[in-house]
Amino acid sequence: MAVASAALDAQHHEPVDQLYAETRDMRLIGFLFFLFSDVVLFSSFIFAYLYLRNSGQGWPPQGVPRPDVALAALNSAILFGSGATMHYALENWKHGKFFRYAGFMIATIILGAMFLTGQVVEYTALYTKEHVTWGGSGIFGASFFTLTGMHGFHVLVGVFYLITLLLQSVHGVYSKDKYFGLTAGTLYWHFVDVIWVVLFSIFYLI
Amino acid sequence: MAVAAVHTSGGIADHIHPEPQGFIRRYVFSIDHKIIGIQYLITGFVFLVLAGLLAELIRVQLMNANGGFISPDTYNEIYTMHGSAMVWLVIIPIVTGGFGNFIFPLQLGARDVAFPWLNMLSFWMFPVAGLLLFSSFLLGAPVAGWTEYPPMSLQGGVGTSMWCVAIFLVGVSSTLTGMNFMVTILKMRAPGMTFTRMPLFVWAQLATAPLSMVATTALAAALAALFMERQFGIPFYDPARGGSPVLWQHMFWFYSHPAVYIMILPVFGIISEVLPTFARKPVFGYKLIAFSSVAIALAGFMVWAHHMFTSGLAPYLQLPFMILTFTIAVPTGVKIFSWMATLWGGKIHYTTALLFAVGFLALFTFGGVTGIFLAAVPFDLHAHGTYFIVGHFHYVLVGGSLMGIFAGMYYWFPKFSGRMLNETIGKWHFWLFFVGFNGTFLPMHWLGFLGMPRRVAEYDPQFQMWNRVESVSSFIMTFAILLFFINMFVSMRNGKKAGPNPWGGRTLEWMIPSPPHYYNFKNIPTVYALPYDFSEPLPYKGLEDELNDKPPAQLAGAHH
Ligand SMILES: [Cu+2]
Repeated sequence: MAVASAALDAQHHEPVDQLYAETRDMRLIGFLFFLFSDVVLFSSFIFAYLYLRNSGQGWPPQGVPRPDVALAALNSAILFGSGATMHYALENWKHGKFFRYAGFMIATIILGAMFLTGQVVEYTALYTKEHVTWGGSGIFGASFFTLTGMHGFHVLVGVFYLITLLLQSVHGVYSKDKYFGLTAGTLYWHFVDVIWVVLFSIFYLI
Repeated sequence: MAVAAVHTSGGIADHIHPEPQGFIRRYVFSIDHKIIGIQYLITGFVFLVLAGLLAELIRVQLMNANGGFISPDTYNEIYTMHGSAMVWLVIIPIVTGGFGNFIFPLQLGARDVAFPWLNMLSFWMFPVAGLLLFSSFLLGAPVAGWTEYPPMSLQGGVGTSMWCVAIFLVGVSSTLTGMNFMVTILKMRAPGMTFTRMPLFVWAQLATAPLSMVATTALAAALAALFMERQFGIPFYDPARGGSPVLWQHMFWFYSHPAVYIMILPVFGIISEVLPTFARKPVFGYKLIAFSSVAIALAGFMVWAHHMFTSGLAPYLQLPFMILTFTIAVPTGVKIFSWMATLWGGKIHYTTALLFAVGFLALFTFGGVTGIFLAAVPFDLHAHGTYFIVGHFHYVLVGGSLMGIFAGMYYWFPKFSGRMLNETIGKWHFWLFFVGFNGTFLPMHWLGFLGMPRRVAEYDPQFQMWNRVESVSSFIMTFAILLFFINMFVSMRNGKKAGPNPWGGRTLEWMIPSPPHYYNFKNIPTVYALPYDFSEPLPYKGLEDELNDKPPAQLAGAHH
């Protein structure tokens, strides 16, 4: 509908489109600031973790095993894969390929849910096999469950966010030119990915 | 920026919404930055009264060396709540949410902030947090001081957990406000308003907003961890369970040193507007003042551990933190000298606002100098935990921030309300406050030297005489603040009509009626130069219709 005329008017900038462009820019900057302060939140807890870990008690503390790298690596692969599908979802939307967009969105949502399932499996194993808990395993429990839990919560919110975006796009909320919500969703999902890279390195690799 | 080309484009900044109807939408859940600003100011002043009464309880208790007015436990609750409320419920909300909201969008030539609904949400978190904080008195208020160092803050009743939640809430509010202001300043400046044409108050808010965003989020993490440890037993800070109390100090001061600048940078902005207006002279060193705010904000992130010289900080860390703290004195000194040079040779109008601004210069400089003392490790080891500290930060926060708030109120009250504050009462307010303030806080410096510890309900009888001087002076200070409130109540109804520009100010908020229409400007003006050059014509175009009775063109069209 509006697609053809938008292409014709690309150089004219109708007032309405300019309005949209300005709103989108403001929201984009605002959203980036929001993500940035979220980075600060994670960084603060990461600082706390590294501070406690280097406070001379040895790591991991007495009686606590190292977390399972193999399972976490598999989970990481799932999450990074979802980053790729998210990227293709947005690209297909930009090119007007709705069904491919929807397919990649659904794939992202499923991969996100699989990551969360993996986390539940990991937590359960730590609890049942090793009796590691949030409050009862010293600074390991405190930092590990708080940070990975915060990240998991972000993934959970992200899954629901993506479901909402998918439903919205089915109901025609976004057009080929006006899709700020999808941009924000993609940014958020990549942000969650990047945080995981850091958490994976500091808990499982070093 | 091509000025004329931008002006013709009717973008989002130029859009006028229909006027909100009904009391609730206009004054309670308003999305108008000016109403929200006034809501912040009123709420902040209510908490100023409450926190001020707590201060007077402290002063009454300290009239006698052996106390006896309130129990030591209650005393702990009272100074903890006094500090917490003054920092988070009075100064920060007033200087950012209050003055910031009302003034800087007008100075930018904007119709509102970038996200008006978010602005409303930010405001309403603030009174909720305040009520939560004060209701902790019912369940056993926090007792570990406003800094809430563990392990003491891990003990005690549920009040400390309520403190965590309340401060977390005002923190989120402050973070969201910071984001909102950043986007507004980046994206909603009037055509021609380049960064180096922005009024200095806007620069001050621009330097403050990232501090609110970043530092406050770090505090949120520290508070969340304290809350989790208290409520769910998650070991972060308790040394008996592997945690570290010093970790809290790092995270707390990583916020609370920048918070000092959240409380003072906007006030620097107020002073930078008041001085040129009443000296009738361009502000000296515009760029120096503007950029030094940013320098202070950035450097402020690298000095937090100067609060921890007695906490077992390694000596090789003490030295850089000491030197970095010294360097902050440089941009601050640049500001002080620029302001003095602004006054130098000016045609000074001795209004109450100017008196408060000059009082600010004197008292803030004094507090800044004792701050340099304290930044020196050997001195700090001696003065830490004594009344010298209490004297120092009250000179910065009361002599600095609160004096600046009063300067801003006398300056902008006509814009808020359309009426002038009474200048005679104002001058009584100033002189009584100035005398009472110095009588209260100056003796603390030598009492601290002599070894009087802070946060203790009783003290050595040799200090009693000066403590009585302090208490009596504090009553004078309280009386002066009472005069201020009386002045506001009387002037709101019976004050002289202000007109749009009673002081001959040159920034954009003075170009429109007082109080402004809900849409601020009938037409968004175009800006051609800095506002402060009193010998030149005003550097704006497109303001012809602002003071006549014609409705704005956009709304006039809608009526037909
Ligand atoms: Cu400091």
